[in-house]
Amino acid sequence: MLRYLRLLGQWALDWIAALGRATLVWFWSMAGVPQRDDLKLLVKQIYQIGVLSLIIIILSAFSIGAVLALQGYTQLARVGAEESVGLGVALVLLRELGPVVTGLLFAGRAGSAITAEIGLMKATDQLSSMEMMGVDPLHRIAAPRLWAGMISMPILTVIFNAVAIGGAALVGVDWLGVDQGGFWGGMQDGVEMWDDVGKGMVKAVLFAMVISWIAVFQGYDSTPTAEGISVATTKTVVYSSVAVLAFDFMLTLVMYGEFK
Amino acid sequence: MSEQCKARASTRSAVGAADRWYSCAAPNHGTPPDSHVTDNLIEIEGLRFSRGDRIIFDGLDLVVPRGSITALMGPSGTGKTTLLRIIGGQIRPDSGRVIVDGRDVPSLSRGELFELRKGMGMLFQSSALFTDLSVFENVAFPLRVHTDLPDEMIRDLVLMKLNAVGLRGARDLMPSQLSGGMSRRVALARTIALDPKFIMYDEPFTGQDPIAMGVLVSLIRGLNESLAMTSLVVSHDIHETASIADQLYIISDGRVIGEGSPDVLRDHPSTMVRQFMLGSPDGPVPFHYPADNFLDDVLGDA
Repeated sequence: MLRYLRLLGQWALDWIAALGRATLVWFWSMAGVPQRDDLKLLVKQIYQIGVLSLIIIILSAFSIGAVLALQGYTQLARVGAEESVGLGVALVLLRELGPVVTGLLFAGRAGSAITAEIGLMKATDQLSSMEMMGVDPLHRIAAPRLWAGMISMPILTVIFNAVAIGGAALVGVDWLGVDQGGFWGGMQDGVEMWDDVGKGMVKAVLFAMVISWIAVFQGYDSTPTAEGISVATTKTVVYSSVAVLAFDFMLTLVMYGEFK
Repeated sequence: MSEQCKARASTRSAVGAADRWYSCAAPNHGTPPDSHVTDNLIEIEGLRFSRGDRIIFDGLDLVVPRGSITALMGPSGTGKTTLLRIIGGQIRPDSGRVIVDGRDVPSLSRGELFELRKGMGMLFQSSALFTDLSVFENVAFPLRVHTDLPDEMIRDLVLMKLNAVGLRGARDLMPSQLSGGMSRRVALARTIALDPKFIMYDEPFTGQDPIAMGVLVSLIRGLNESLAMTSLVVSHDIHETASIADQLYIISDGRVIGEGSPDVLRDHPSTMVRQFMLGSPDGPVPFHYPADNFLDDVLGDA
């Protein structure tokens, strides 16, 4: 029994120490005055993290939008409300699925890549050599990736929502024959700018911060071996996915009044 | 830029101008006026450092005179690379003084440490080249980050540094296209890009063929003399290191067990120092890792 208590205590201490290190990584990455080639580094990372994630985001969004329209139509047609399929799909996407699915895909595609890259740089002494040249790797390596993640993911969420709604319209209107005016008109009338679009984007921004932070920290804190990098990459995907789902629940609870 | 520097920059020689421009524009690595300047660039006193229960350094004392090549040797696992990282401020010791160019490294703030490191260089065992940058850009990296030199001037300086290590023709290659010896030389060119006062070499000869080893030996000696630098070399290659080192330190069990010139150490009274200098397989540093009696172990139960 005492052994288990000791292990639990050790685990708690390790967790608190890791949180402290993660906070320092965040603080030192964000601190300091931007330098002249910071913009160039940021643009490069936005390309690596954001632009290269576009294909998986677009394919997934189209597929999810199309499936939502199919399922929604089947249920709503029973009560003769098939024209509401546009509004239903839009609300589900803007409030929940857009930020959450983009977050999960982003963690798997970009988060893992960030962790593996930084971990490998650490294992091959590239971070140490940067330090010894008087260059802060947190400023040079971590900060552009954090900012690029925080800028890219909300934009990817917007693209995800737009493509998914397009996919739903293609299936609903062009294939299943839902009235075009009802599909788009219902969406226009029912979707609120702040309650639906705005709050969904608040989630996207928060998820972006959390995923980027986890990915950068796991890479920076990884054990510099092949196994260590593998463990760190797995941790990034698992922790980010759990964090996205947990934060989604909490944010939904806080932001949508009817649940209070 | 001062008037003197502006006047110098107007000279016509491209390479000469590069040198003068650089000396005007490069950050000042000079010792602060209030610092304690001695003949020794590095002074370590009573250094103690441990990892968990394992004591790495137990009151280690060491000095590196300015302008010298000092070699640090000792059995594997004695903390030689750790000592380089402590000198560079990447690891904080448990106690003791680590004075580098008049500054106590463990007491420096994060910003002061980065400033101090601009005047020192370190050649890593793995070379640590940036894999996403070409040879040229690797060498240009410290110049781009720490100076405001125009691109043409950076180009001239990079070519000069690459020429010094014999790899001017490899400027467009990527690190993955280089052999181990070439990587080490590119890393050396990058290390001297800012003309540091002091370079630490971590196992520079490991894994090198005899030709590459000979090239590195002559480069370390040549650069130390021509750039008036101070060098600290960690190495296991006794002959190569002894051929260029002004003084050697042998470390074992967390302390310095022998110091002096290579000739003095070969006749050192300590059997451990002699075993190391002569490369004897057995002696005070045993061939076998501590284990139970061999016969008992072999004939015992599985």
